[in-house]
Amino acid sequence: MTKEQRLKKRHSAERRFRFYGIASICVALLFVLILVNNIFSKGSSAFMKTVIDVEVFYDPELIEIENGASEENIREADFYDITIETLLKSYPAKNLDEENELIDLFTTDAEIEIKKAFLENNNLIGKKINLEITSSDDIDQLHKGNYPRDLPEDRRRISNFQLKIYDTLVENNKINKNFNNYYFNNGDSRDPELAGIGGALVGSFYSIIICLLLAFPVAVLASIYLEEFAPKNKITDFIEININNLAAVPSIVYGLLALQILLATIQLPRSTPLVAGITLALMTLPRIIIPCRASLKAVPPSIREGALAVGASKFQSVFHHVVPLSLPGTLSGTIIGLAQALGETAPLILIGMVAFVVDIPSTPIDPSSSLPVQVYLWSESAERGFVEKTSATIMMLLSFLIVMNFIAVYLRQKFEKRWN
Amino acid sequence: MSNEHTVKSYEEELQFLVDSVIKMGSLTESQMVDSMDAIIKVDKDSIDKIIKSDDEINKFRSKIDTQIMTLLVKRAPMAIDLRETISSLKISQDLERIGDLSKSNAKKVKPLPLDLPEELLSNLKRLGELVIKQLNDVLDSYVNKNYDKAKEVWKKDEQVDDLTYIAMESVIDFLSKDKKNLDFSTHLIFATKNLERAGDHITNIAESICYLIKGEYLKGSRPKGKVIQE
Amino acid sequence: MNEVKIKSNNLNVFYGDKQALFDVNLDLNEKEVTALIGPSGCGKSTFIRCINRMNDVIDICKVTGNIEIDGVEINDENLDVVSLRERVGMVFQKPNPFPKSIYDNISYGPKIHGKGETKSELDEIVERSLKKAALWEEVKDRLDEPGTGLSGGQQQRLCIARAISVNPEVILMDEPCSALDPIATAKIEELIDELKKTYTIVIVTHSMAQAVRVSQKTGFFHLGKLIEVGKTEKIFKNPDNKMTQDYITGRFG
Repeated sequence: MTKEQRLKKRHSAERRFRFYGIASICVALLFVLILVNNIFSKGSSAFMKTVIDVEVFYDPELIEIENGASEENIREADFYDITIETLLKSYPAKNLDEENELIDLFTTDAEIEIKKAFLENNNLIGKKINLEITSSDDIDQLHKGNYPRDLPEDRRRISNFQLKIYDTLVENNKINKNFNNYYFNNGDSRDPELAGIGGALVGSFYSIIICLLLAFPVAVLASIYLEEFAPKNKITDFIEININNLAAVPSIVYGLLALQILLATIQLPRSTPLVAGITLALMTLPRIIIPCRASLKAVPPSIREGALAVGASKFQSVFHHVVPLSLPGTLSGTIIGLAQALGETAPLILIGMVAFVVDIPSTPIDPSSSLPVQVYLWSESAERGFVEKTSATIMMLLSFLIVMNFIAVYLRQKFEKRWN
Repeated sequence: MSNEHTVKSYEEELQFLVDSVIKMGSLTESQMVDSMDAIIKVDKDSIDKIIKSDDEINKFRSKIDTQIMTLLVKRAPMAIDLRETISSLKISQDLERIGDLSKSNAKKVKPLPLDLPEELLSNLKRLGELVIKQLNDVLDSYVNKNYDKAKEVWKKDEQVDDLTYIAMESVIDFLSKDKKNLDFSTHLIFATKNLERAGDHITNIAESICYLIKGEYLKGSRPKGKVIQE
Repeated sequence: MNEVKIKSNNLNVFYGDKQALFDVNLDLNEKEVTALIGPSGCGKSTFIRCINRMNDVIDICKVTGNIEIDGVEINDENLDVVSLRERVGMVFQKPNPFPKSIYDNISYGPKIHGKGETKSELDEIVERSLKKAALWEEVKDRLDEPGTGLSGGQQQRLCIARAISVNPEVILMDEPCSALDPIATAKIEELIDELKKTYTIVIVTHSMAQAVRVSQKTGFFHLGKLIEVGKTEKIFKNPDNKMTQDYITGRFG
């Protein structure tokens, strides 16, 4: 082969390689794009809800309280009759069936919404106000265009009569889209229009905080001891290998462990963020220790020697110099470990977090859900309304992960000191 | 030197320097032989040739100087190499002075009459032969790095002094016989003194060689023979 | 000749199974610069790291024999290495300032040893140390800038200032100029000349010329053994040992 041929061959090999590289990046980007597009197109509508404008008349004959009643009295009062009255007024229904169908257009929480409006301004007795009542899930989906109208009636969840009401309401401008406050404030619900991630958010938050409180100090101290103080012998070698192995253990194994030890033996309350946090801490521990040790290792020995040479003790050289220098790496490793923990589902399912929890937990020992488990739960549900909720929750989860990773990168870049 | 330098060219440069000194030495030696011959035979024709060869010796001297400078700058020689370099500098200086003295002796031939008494010349000749032998020996000891031989040369300077004394005596004797001998007798006295000075330079060279080999100067004062009061 | 400050007696050092130093007997004189020369891996760095017990950091390192400073044995398990290192400072091959401000670099040592309780005392120590290290004029206006931002030579002088700050008796220098340019090297050498009035200095160097320039005494190590030690002039003009001669004239092979 001549020199030119060899050169040509080398150049074309380099070009080929560059092409393969670019192509694989494009493929990867394409997949990400498809995923993100799919989630966004399905999920973004979940942040809005459909409301129906109705006129509420707080008829003094239908409720037993008077203007200026105490809050406690109002809460105990029965607004059911007023609610039915109000809803029926929104469209003329001829018989009991039609009345039921009409009421079905509204959320089951219509009574609560009417009561709430009253709570905000408790001298409404005998007055009329316009109120936007959340629609039922079916109308919500219909209004968002996710529901096919051209199916035969017996295969539709919405009857022809309901469709007729809907069309009339649209004509009269009675149907609107509002910000979906339920999605953020409510706990889980059987009714898609009422279901929210409030409970899951708080549950996840508690779990991660407990995980952080447990895993961070233990991991940092363990890695400092192993890296700086422990003698290098067979025992520490064995520990090191096992830490690496533990980081690779499937998370469901930690779930089983927690199920056996935390729930069965110690008898901690099941489905709680406390147990979830402990389980996640167990799982995250090796995943934090590894980057912590790596960032300790990355501190050049010359810094240690420099400190020792001016007469710092081993302890001082580690805590005055090595640890502060490794902190950016340690923190970003921890945050990335926590981000993984945040997205973990399998162990939480095993410790019972998959339970249906409506109430938002006020302490870490209340039963609760968590974001990834909520995704799992909703993806299993049949109702159409949960599809967009699933995607929206994935979006929430992803944005938390992105924010955490961003913080990790930021910390590393901002505080990483250069030494030469 | 059993070991070679890691840097081959360094080795070569040092060797080249030593070779230059040896060449310069043999040139000085043959010049001295020539100038002695010229005096003994009162051969006025060879004067020019001897003067010319001194130019060559001077050129050698400056060449060696340059080599030494280069070596010092380039290699920063240490220990034996440093001593080798420095002794080359000193030896070449002494050789050049010896060359100058030979030239000066050759110049003394010009005013000499052709009928010098045999006895006068034979004392000078004995001195000359001894100095030439000394020079030969010292160069030998330099080539072979022979400490004992160099020290021997150093010791034998005493004899040079003694022979100088004898040669001087005979010239002064000759001069006292007849005042009209004054002119060329003075030249002969200078020639004798020059040979004695050459002997001193040879002693210097012997000292340099001893320092080069052992790294320390010879102990004790120089051996001194009978000295003419000047 | 000055009095003997540090005395090693049959010093042996082992790294695991490998012996790094064999029966080293070397006396270092007070307020003098001793240069240690020898090929890489000959044990000269190991030797100076014995003087401030820096080898303790290495698990597999074992030291037998004696080292005395002012007649007091330092190779003793009960000896507090921290107070030893306060007396024996060290400067390393690569400048290794802490990634902190110039001020913090120097005040760190005094702080942990409880010297300089007040801010003004610390200020004084920092200024004095920097002046002694001939760095004060160059950095006095930017004491709060990071030490790592200085040039290589300045960093090394900062490290020397850091070593001086705790007022040691001995300063060990492990090839302090090997990463520096000739001008920076000259500055450090000038500094060493100045420092030897106050401190006992031991310097490991690969540069013969540097050893000649800065030291009064030179020791030649080879394969863990101290081959020859003597006045620097003697070693570089006329060493007794042939191996020394071969090494310094570049005939090692």
